Amino acid sequence: MSSLAKATSRAEEDEADDLVARLAAAEAALAEEVRRSRALNRIAEAIGAGHDAETLVQTVVDGGVELTGAQFGAFFYKVAGEAGESFMLYSLSGAPRSAFEAFPMPRSTAVFAPTFQGAGVVRSDDITRDPRYGRNAPYRGMPEGHLPVRSYLAVPVITRQGSVLGGLFFGHPQPARFGPHAESLMVGLAAQAAVAIESVRTHDAAHAELAQRRDAEERLKFALEAGRLGAWELDVETRAYLASDICKANYGRGPDDDFGFDDLVASVDPDDRPRMIAAIEAAIRHGADYDIEYRVRTPGGEIRWVHARGRAAQTGDHGGARRMAGVSLDVTARKRAEERQKLLVNELNHRVKNTLVSVQSIASQTLRTTDTPAAFRDAFEGRIMALSHTHDLLTQQNWEGASLREIFDFELEAFAARDRIAFDYARDVQLSPKATVALGMAIHELATNALKYGALSVPGGAVRVAWGPEPDAADAPRLRLTWTEHGGPPVVPPRRHGFGARLLEKGLAGELSAQVALAYDSLGLACTMKLPIRALEP
Amino acid sequence: MKTLAALKVLVVEDEALVSMLVEDMLSDLGCVVVGPAAELEEALRLAGGADIDAALLDVNLGGRPIFPVADALKERGVPFAFASGYGEAGLSEGHKGATVLQKPFREADLRKVLEGLAAQLA
Repeated sequence: MSSLAKATSRAEEDEADDLVARLAAAEAALAEEVRRSRALNRIAEAIGAGHDAETLVQTVVDGGVELTGAQFGAFFYKVAGEAGESFMLYSLSGAPRSAFEAFPMPRSTAVFAPTFQGAGVVRSDDITRDPRYGRNAPYRGMPEGHLPVRSYLAVPVITRQGSVLGGLFFGHPQPARFGPHAESLMVGLAAQAAVAIESVRTHDAAHAELAQRRDAEERLKFALEAGRLGAWELDVETRAYLASDICKANYGRGPDDDFGFDDLVASVDPDDRPRMIAAIEAAIRHGADYDIEYRVRTPGGEIRWVHARGRAAQTGDHGGARRMAGVSLDVTARKRAEERQKLLVNELNHRVKNTLVSVQSIASQTLRTTDTPAAFRDAFEGRIMALSHTHDLLTQQNWEGASLREIFDFELEAFAARDRIAFDYARDVQLSPKATVALGMAIHELATNALKYGALSVPGGAVRVAWGPEPDAADAPRLRLTWTEHGGPPVVPPRRHGFGARLLEKGLAGELSAQVALAYDSLGLACTMKLPIRALEP
Repeated sequence: MKTLAALKVLVVEDEALVSMLVEDMLSDLGCVVVGPAAELEEALRLAGGADIDAALLDVNLGGRPIFPVADALKERGVPFAFASGYGEAGLSEGHKGATVLQKPFREADLRKVLEGLAAQLA
């Protein structure tokens, strides 16, 4: 074999070796590319999986370390604080967190500024030789004990709107470890990370807002329940009516019962319905406040009062309401109280008017039966006071009546000779207000007469008052009440029929369907009343 | 048309002092008092059969409304007026618009009301 042939064969061999080497290198590069590509896919998938922000950023940093072959990587996010912008460590890969914890947060130094201001990528084969390195006080570059960084790659993470979220940082103790390929990969990763972080933040914010709204709704519900307020909503176009459980309960419906707008209108009392419809139409048409009280008939037939209020929750095209919202309250108890009060005021008015007529009657009759103004005044005042005492007694008893003994005690309270009036009865009797007034005046007339003309007009005279069941009551039970004077001057029937005698014999007889007899004899006056129990009882 | 003189007036009133006053006024006007009835049963009996020209009715008789008596009088064609502290507000649906003598009243008021009732008599 010639030397040329030998040479050729060596050249061929060399060429073959080179080819093998190149092939192996290409295969290795391809394998590396496939590995990176797979890693990139895996990372992209992980980013897209929608984790919480922390997991997401950790995935990005871990992926970046893997793709660039960095010794360590970190994500710092930008925070705006009182002292301006600073950067906080969020995620770390390839080094324990403690490696950073001793140092203050990175500032916007010449090295970091391009990243945190979003100006662009900083890639350096040896950052310690970079002209930007050590340019800021205290001019010594990395603080003592910092992770040994020579190869340096920093990529800003910027949202699509252009705001800087933070930065991805990769480092290696050996120089020249990050090439253009690694840079472009990290730029892509940063873009993906920005989108993912933003979406997680939006999602979190939406969640927080939702939770806040739910809290607010919960509080509103509590307030409505505490105030027994029902809540309702009406869609004007579709007439869809939404009522809360309390709102339904106000109309006598259960939580599961259907209760639409037509049901609402139908439940309103026919007398109040036109007013209610007019009010709601005015609110819909002009956006006026809806504020109305009406009666409703529950499915059980009960009549209740409901106070409904509402206003436009959403305004329509022509200024009216498109949607209305409001509250409803069962005000039956208040309405009943108002009605009761009205009745009481009416009743009081009636009593006042009747009392005025009584006073008019007393004045008129006293005038007819007295001869001088002084006598009129004396008699009139006494009678008005008697009427007043009876009212005091009834007011004390809440106008439910009084007992016979109480009437005597009240009428005779200021009476000079009261200790000469003796009582004899087995059981006190409860009387109606009407009988109380009638007997009060009768007792006053008897006592006044006794003091002026009868037994109490002389020392030693006395009165015996007795009552008990009438023995000869054949059909209806009657009370027999006697006023017997003794020890006084002999009496004769008066020439002129006075007010007292008339009141006893005719008035009392009429009002209480009683039989009243006045006997005038030498012993003194004796008055016997036979009073039907049914006319006395409350 | 009758004059007030000898006009027979049924008085239904459950309070002694009030009915005594009305009696006095009617007597002064020359009328003849029939009653006074203080109870519904007695009032119904008189309204249905007594010889009367007119009636003056207290609206509330011991807590019971007077309207059955008014109905009986209407049936007989006897003119009547209500006497009430409530005014017209105290009247039942069927008797709205009837003559009401608001308590308290003067003799002149009573005279006017009675003259109105007497005018209804043939």
